[in-house]
Amino acid sequence: MRLLCLLLALPLVASAAVSRGFTRLQDAVVRIDVRDVSIESGVKRFTAGVGSGVILSDDGLILTNAHVASPRSVELSITLASLESVGAKLVGWDHWTDLALLRLDLAEVKRRGLKFAHADLGDSDDLFPGESVYAVGTPFGLARTVTHGIISNNRRFFEDDTGVDGYETGAFNNWLQTDAAINPGNSGGPLVTDDGRVVGINARGYIGANELAFAIPVNVAKRVIAGLARDGSITRSYLGVVLGPLQILDHANALKQNTGVLINSVDSGSPAAKAGLHPGDILLALDGTPVDGRFPEQLPPIQDLIASKAVGATVKLSVKHGDQTATLALVTERLESRLGEEWDFEKWGLTVRKVSRAFARDHQLTDDIGLIVMGAQTGFPAAVAGLGRGDIITTINHEPIVSLEVARKAYDAFVGMPAPVLIEAQQEHQLSLHILKP
Amino acid sequence: MTTPFSRRESAGFAPNARRRGTFRPLLALALLTLTALPCLAAADLPALWSDRVKSVVAVDFFTETELGRQPTTVSGLVADANGTIALPPDTVGPRLTPAQLKDFHVHIPGEPSETFAKADYLGQDGLSGWHFIRVEEKLRARLTPVTTFSPPAGTGEPAAGEEVWGIGLRGKDEDYTPYLLTAKVSMVQSLPERTAVALAEVAAPGLPVFNHDGAFQGVAVGGFGSSYVEFSRAQRSGMPIMLIDPEESRVFQLASAVIPWLARVPGDVHGRPIPWFGAYGLESMDPEVASFLNLVNQSGCVVSEVLEGSPAETAGLKPRDIIVAVDGKPLPRLKPDRVAVDYFERQIDIRKPGDKFAFTVLRGTERVELTATLSDEPKLAREADRKYFENLGLTVREFVFGDGVVRRVKHADQTGVIAHFVKTNTPVSAAGLGADDWIQEIDGVPVKTFAEAVAKLAAIDGDPTRTEFVMLISRGGETQVLRVKLK
Repeated sequence: MRLLCLLLALPLVASAAVSRGFTRLQDAVVRIDVRDVSIESGVKRFTAGVGSGVILSDDGLILTNAHVASPRSVELSITLASLESVGAKLVGWDHWTDLALLRLDLAEVKRRGLKFAHADLGDSDDLFPGESVYAVGTPFGLARTVTHGIISNNRRFFEDDTGVDGYETGAFNNWLQTDAAINPGNSGGPLVTDDGRVVGINARGYIGANELAFAIPVNVAKRVIAGLARDGSITRSYLGVVLGPLQILDHANALKQNTGVLINSVDSGSPAAKAGLHPGDILLALDGTPVDGRFPEQLPPIQDLIASKAVGATVKLSVKHGDQTATLALVTERLESRLGEEWDFEKWGLTVRKVSRAFARDHQLTDDIGLIVMGAQTGFPAAVAGLGRGDIITTINHEPIVSLEVARKAYDAFVGMPAPVLIEAQQEHQLSLHILKP
Repeated sequence: MTTPFSRRESAGFAPNARRRGTFRPLLALALLTLTALPCLAAADLPALWSDRVKSVVAVDFFTETELGRQPTTVSGLVADANGTIALPPDTVGPRLTPAQLKDFHVHIPGEPSETFAKADYLGQDGLSGWHFIRVEEKLRARLTPVTTFSPPAGTGEPAAGEEVWGIGLRGKDEDYTPYLLTAKVSMVQSLPERTAVALAEVAAPGLPVFNHDGAFQGVAVGGFGSSYVEFSRAQRSGMPIMLIDPEESRVFQLASAVIPWLARVPGDVHGRPIPWFGAYGLESMDPEVASFLNLVNQSGCVVSEVLEGSPAETAGLKPRDIIVAVDGKPLPRLKPDRVAVDYFERQIDIRKPGDKFAFTVLRGTERVELTATLSDEPKLAREADRKYFENLGLTVREFVFGDGVVRRVKHADQTGVIAHFVKTNTPVSAAGLGADDWIQEIDGVPVKTFAEAVAKLAAIDGDPTRTEFVMLISRGGETQVLRVKLK
């Protein structure tokens, strides 16, 4: 499903009688101006964006989207309801749920005597389709915009492998669907009920659709807020199964039971593969907890159940293979993104991203050695040598690139004493050799 | 050549002409401006013409697919006195099997197009890429092998500036009438065959080129493009494009290279035997890299992979090895760089299964001498068994060696079948099956062999009471269960 990330900012031009809670909420919604660094083109570039956020606490925690504020953000400027601007720092982000947590520069707030309110969080499990909701944010930079709609669906499911600036999202949560008008710039702003309680964080819409937008339920956000505030990141577990709704199978195989979830694919080399799980198997229970995944919207809770296990823990899976049921013990691994660490080698005109285990698996590479070329700047040594986007640099002067550090050392040596460097690269498993010349 | 008439259809043309699954390098020729019309002062051109045009035929045939029959017309070159006719490499698409090629008809250029002689398809030669057919007896006496006009021994290559001429053929609606093309030679290159580029179109692809005296100079090749910049109202800044003329070519492979090819009539329709080495993903290097590796005035080919169970593997070739010599002879530095790979592959293609193949690799800084014994290439996709299921709208074919290579699957795990063709608007396409998907299980049961898959699918295809079935398929290394609703 291809969805447009929307940055939402809502100015408060509320119409009729609004509750006290709603007034207070409006004072807790902020505009976020972001300067990001991007390395797509072989060189560091800066891009600017606008999003929305909601202040959560008196100590200046702000919740927004991961596609608004991320580790790539080098400058975050918050405009409060009082129209005063103040700096902020990233506390942590979680692209899987598209949430990021910021903290206002409290020293500056104190020095300038700025005032702000914080929002109250509601309970997204209590929402029902048809319930009235408001979106508050900064669509197209129009700060303090309020729009109105209803909850169209409270259990929407979609996953997007590149949904948050190229990072995966949506695997572990359902989404609230609303017809409240949400536009680019609304992202990170709250979806609230009549009493001004936050029930969701507006995040996405369909390209070309009208009144079809999605928000992260606040009950998902509560856990992520706590995790990010504590650790700066969310740790999840990985087993290596790709789940599918069981409805694909139920009639065809005349299944006696109609609970469980289909295992559509098993990642090679994963804990699931090592334990002998097989595509087409049906997962019945996880550590004794039955799972029910007949329909797509039932998958995220099951995936979240797996992800919530401690990394390195042994989990027991009851699995049906053909007519037989077995219990398998798997040791979880840490879930990682397909996208590895990024770096730029200025003098080479080269920007790269480390090959991750997940990327290697996706591309059927034998190991996670190497750097993926993000960009090669025209006229610089890397581009002159014939390197281009998508090439995977596997060795430099015959040394395997097991880490970014190895490449950084070779680069530093080049900068210290420029001399030709032999690069081995591969694309689509085809090796090629290149010389970087000073 | 401009004309107010409609041009000949050339359905067999593909811009990047494939030779047995590999891409022939598509060369952009520099723009050559023709300043003066060439004027051929042949001794007696009409006499030369009437003899030499007998070495040329028009060939049409049908390609039968699940969806119907497609006609193709190509030019043919008379290879010998037994009615053997050579057709250009891109005559047949790489996904087609010989069994799909039907009704070969051979026409004498200029005679009423409704008269023809029948011909049989003989197969494709791995070295030249040429397809061969053999025409029935009745027409043979009227044909002259092009080798009749071979230049006398010791004749050199055509020189730059030398005038040459060749033959083109009009379309079916003009009875395949032959016409004259002339041009001057501009340059001669090794690609890796000695190949001449002329200043203008000199013959239809697959047809011969002659000199002033009527001596056979070479065969025109298609697939070469010329670079232009296109301007339009919308694109005022100009957009670089490459134009390829499918009907006439400026480029011809010299007689010295192609005369031996005329005798390479395959032993069977699949072109067997095909010599096999098993080094995969060969990549050339630029002179900077060669010089860094101390390869002076020569080239090398980097080996990306060594195929499982291949002669190369047995000989001890490793991924990352750089092949620098064959039979002790360094790989020459050819232009452009990538021709080095073609050169190396030709060294295999000219051999036979069972032949020894000695080569030298650079492994790190060490030079290693290795010898392989070539074998016959594993079954190719075009040789694989296949079966079409009418009601399902699905053709499956046997899983062959190359399928394992591109899917990176070890031989031991190579079970199941490949979805070769999926008809649109059928239950299987609605379920999400696509061409080239790998079908591993049907109704929860692994299909180990082609026969097992065919039996299962035939039972489903022929059972009007079936409402649905499920398949486990693999695509891009990830599996998926598909539910096919038949009703």
